[in-house]
Amino acid sequence: MIWILFICFIVCLFLRFPIAFSLGFSCLIYLLFKGIPLIIIPMKMYSGIDVFVLLSIPGFIIAGNLMNQGGLTEKIISFCNHLLGHIRGGLSLVNIGASMLFAGISGTAISDTASMGSVMIPAMKKEGYDVDYACAITAASSTVGPIIPPSVPMIIAATLSGLSVGKLFLAGAIPGLLLGVGLMLVAYVIAKRKNYPKHARSSFKQIWKGFVDTFWSLLMTFIILFGIIGGIFTPTEASIIAILYAFVIGRFVYEKLTFKNVQVVLLSSMKTSASLMVLVGFANLFGWILITEHIPQMLSTEIVGFTTNKYLVLLLINIVLIVVGTFMETIAALLILFPILLKVAISVDVDPIHFAVIAVLNLIIGLTTPPVGVCLFVASSIGKVSIAKVSKAGFPFLMVSVLVLILITLFPSLSLFLPELFMD
Amino acid sequence: MSIYRRIGKILKMGTLVSTLGLIATVSLQIFARFFLASAPSWTEEASRLFFIYAISFASGIALKNNSYVGLDMFYNMFSARIRKVLDLLIPTLIFALFGVVMVYAIQFVFIGNTERSPSMGIRMSLAFSSIFIMSITICFYASIKIKSAVKNLKK
Repeated sequence: MIWILFICFIVCLFLRFPIAFSLGFSCLIYLLFKGIPLIIIPMKMYSGIDVFVLLSIPGFIIAGNLMNQGGLTEKIISFCNHLLGHIRGGLSLVNIGASMLFAGISGTAISDTASMGSVMIPAMKKEGYDVDYACAITAASSTVGPIIPPSVPMIIAATLSGLSVGKLFLAGAIPGLLLGVGLMLVAYVIAKRKNYPKHARSSFKQIWKGFVDTFWSLLMTFIILFGIIGGIFTPTEASIIAILYAFVIGRFVYEKLTFKNVQVVLLSSMKTSASLMVLVGFANLFGWILITEHIPQMLSTEIVGFTTNKYLVLLLINIVLIVVGTFMETIAALLILFPILLKVAISVDVDPIHFAVIAVLNLIIGLTTPPVGVCLFVASSIGKVSIAKVSKAGFPFLMVSVLVLILITLFPSLSLFLPELFMD
Repeated sequence: MSIYRRIGKILKMGTLVSTLGLIATVSLQIFARFFLASAPSWTEEASRLFFIYAISFASGIALKNNSYVGLDMFYNMFSARIRKVLDLLIPTLIFALFGVVMVYAIQFVFIGNTERSPSMGIRMSLAFSSIFIMSITICFYASIKIKSAVKNLKK
């Protein structure tokens, strides 16, 4: 009977049903076939959404959008330009560096591609960079965002597993930095080979001014992180402090936020959050069905029956997650697969925090994996270049991401060092 | 002002008020924890209530703005005629799905009449009504999409 659920879900996806409604509709069909009272639908939707830590998701989204509305993207890019622009292919390094800094504010890859891309792709094109390369690097660099804290996928992973949000945020920091530095190295090598332009070195005064301009926004990331890690705030409280902080900075320091802007930001952020939360609600129902059908246990028994080698199991999981991440939105894939695969991972002694980092990294790599990685689509539509060209230009960056994934999988300490240092 | 725009305005207002309520209650919780002798126990419950209402009001607007993510890859391979049919089929099934959710959400609200929230002492039916509101708003915008898809199909 469980096959009805899966078949219906897959058919709905193929017909371009939104993922949230594909989940809901397949659950409805399953419940009708099984004769389970349908009141379970509103019950499970409600209990899935009514979780305090989930309040932090709209909080971080609003704070990020407020900062962006306050002209932050341009300021971060300008600061990185002063810092890295004098190196060969400087703008590509600026693109990655700015994504790493912006990551602390936006927390999602797609918004990063859209906001960075709209500024960086035309700028790189104007300076003589190949457009497919500019799009590829913008898509690749935006995948750093969901790993570097604060990260929306990490909050979801924490909600699904009961792990500490603070520990998951910290666990993503080193992998995020590794990914960023790896991408920068490859970008530099390509820039040298293609002789991309470089700017004149900025004076210390210009760098200092750029730093002062972005200081207030960078401070927000530190307040969030240290507030959570230090046990001063819960993640939800940190997200609300981030909103208040972003409002004060945008209104009184950057002087770009008006009450009309704030209203627009609140509405657009809540639309994004609502689409995520309807997904969370249906995923809770979907997860409940999988549990009542003992799917996680069955899968765990099957995989462990096939092999108990931890690394072979992780390799299998990595392949599954990258393929799924290519086709499906990160949060949706996480909601459906994370609880099931976590059980499998724990059965072969993988630390849950380590596994959460692996899962999130896999799914965000999927965002830039051809043929359907969402970030590739966003970047190619901004640059008005075919997705095939962007995919080809992005291949070296994809390889870096896979290499970082292999390192993170093989060396748990890369993920566990910071949480153990600060929070154990 | 048309009824369509009026409902849209009410939903936007509901989203804004609930979101501001959420921000205010969590801010109060933080303020009380740092500056008062004790933090009120009801703030967490109230903020969750504001949150779920904000989500419910915004869920229909999200449908209107196509904020729900789907897979475009296979859709783009279909002929224009099939795409037009799908453009009608998808909102129709969304309408059917949330029509069912709406009916059972009413039962869910009645169950909530007998329960009270631990801190605020309010009837849980108030909180459970959020799912009913979510269903109505999504059904409302799905019906508009159906109407527009029917028009498009006839062209």
